[in-house]
Amino acid sequence: MITMRDLTFQYKGSSENALCGVQLTVEQGDFLGIIGASGAGKSTLLSVISGVVPHHNQGDFYGSCVVDGMDTVEVTMTDISRVVGSVFQDIDGQMVSSVVEDEVLFALENFGFGKAEIERRLSTALEQVGIAHLRNRSLDSLSGGQKQKVALAAVMALQPKVLVLDEPTGELDPASSRQFYLLLRELNRQNGTTVVVVEQKIMLLCEFAKRLAVMDGGKIARIGTVREMLAETDVLEELGVHCPRVASLCTELRRRGLYAGQTPIDVEEGVRMVREVTA
Amino acid sequence: MKGILQYVAGDTVLHRMNPLAKLALAMAVCLCCFATQSLLLVFGLILLDVGMGYLGGVGRQTIKILKGLVKFTAFFFVLQIFFVPDGRALISLPLGIRITDQGLRFSLLLCMRIIGATLPLTIVLMTTRLSALTREMVNRLHVPYRYAFALTTAIRFIPILSGEMAGIMEAQTARGVEMDGNIFRKIRLMLPLCVPLLVSAVRRIELSAVSAELRGFHLAGKNRSGKGEL
Repeated sequence: MITMRDLTFQYKGSSENALCGVQLTVEQGDFLGIIGASGAGKSTLLSVISGVVPHHNQGDFYGSCVVDGMDTVEVTMTDISRVVGSVFQDIDGQMVSSVVEDEVLFALENFGFGKAEIERRLSTALEQVGIAHLRNRSLDSLSGGQKQKVALAAVMALQPKVLVLDEPTGELDPASSRQFYLLLRELNRQNGTTVVVVEQKIMLLCEFAKRLAVMDGGKIARIGTVREMLAETDVLEELGVHCPRVASLCTELRRRGLYAGQTPIDVEEGVRMVREVTA
Repeated sequence: MKGILQYVAGDTVLHRMNPLAKLALAMAVCLCCFATQSLLLVFGLILLDVGMGYLGGVGRQTIKILKGLVKFTAFFFVLQIFFVPDGRALISLPLGIRITDQGLRFSLLLCMRIIGATLPLTIVLMTTRLSALTREMVNRLHVPYRYAFALTTAIRFIPILSGEMAGIMEAQTARGVEMDGNIFRKIRLMLPLCVPLLVSAVRRIELSAVSAELRGFHLAGKNRSGKGEL
């Protein structure tokens, strides 16, 4: 679904590469979490997938990024947006309307769907994210979390094959963040939507993502399944990633020769590991 | 200013009215305010505006705006009253400054005209979805979609920028800047804040433009469909 080959990008006016020789393949139906320290190039990577780089944010672009058979440099942002739905970090900034319903309608009307189809997609998207009751509310009267859901509904209405999300739970409390990821998992499993998400809440990613990529200095330093990645907590800590405690505990137990089983990725598995060690 | 000039959902007569008809009615009230010399008529139009506000379910917001406008126009009133020398002197001050009956009447009329002309437009904004206004401008006035969208987006940004300014002022207050005081002091303190406001506004507009482009804005003029008729 997404293939990046030797992708290097430098923003206009900048002296450093934001992305440096990135090689990445994301299959359809994948749920990829991207982590890394600030300035590692995570948001730029998402911008490349959505076409914002190099079409809007210009600079020196080398290599290629192919999304669903389209070279993102060759086609327009609008062409890419038929396949890729993007949710930015700054939720307020990405709103183009003043009412919830209008925000979701905007893209549906632009893409010229029929009235019946518009109504069906609008209702489905609002219900899926649980904001049907906010349909006629002004966007300014909503909380940050509700706005995040509106932004997701607005892109979900287009039923994109790929969803790219930049720290989508930045303004959500822990319970709402989990709910948001449950929704993403549902989309990923039921519709086969490919999800690429940049997130700082690593515990959440470990619970919901299928694979993790760690970025450092514009490169993908490590990529693999969640379990594979959490088995390398020392490397991740060196790359500026704060690992889940359950994974750090596992590494410590291994180092002391007390545990040799698989790396736990959630609390449940962590409890099992501790029981095994103490038995 | 939070909540002012923002769309308030409802199902009142004003909400159901055609956006262009509402706008035309508001413009007619504005014109009346400036065409007449009668204080009583302008006062009546202000009362009509307030009544319309309550009819549209935005009475509380209308009164809030009215209070703000009274404070704003009080400045003009004080300034204007000294610059009309014609008429019978009511109060004579040193340096030959006089407050005359005509000066008083003219200042009062000017302030009431500003209030009477501003209120109906704010009521239209609070009871009209900007998307509906855009749609009507495109369908009935045949304004190109891009221009209609740009116009309504500019209107949408008024309360947003006002909120941003309030945020910047709060941040300054938290750092010990005393924003209270007379209007000249306030203006002097607010002027440097316009730079961060401008920077944040440009950033927000740019992001909004990218977001619109990623949702097919480029196609809008070609095959845009509408749900308005649903």
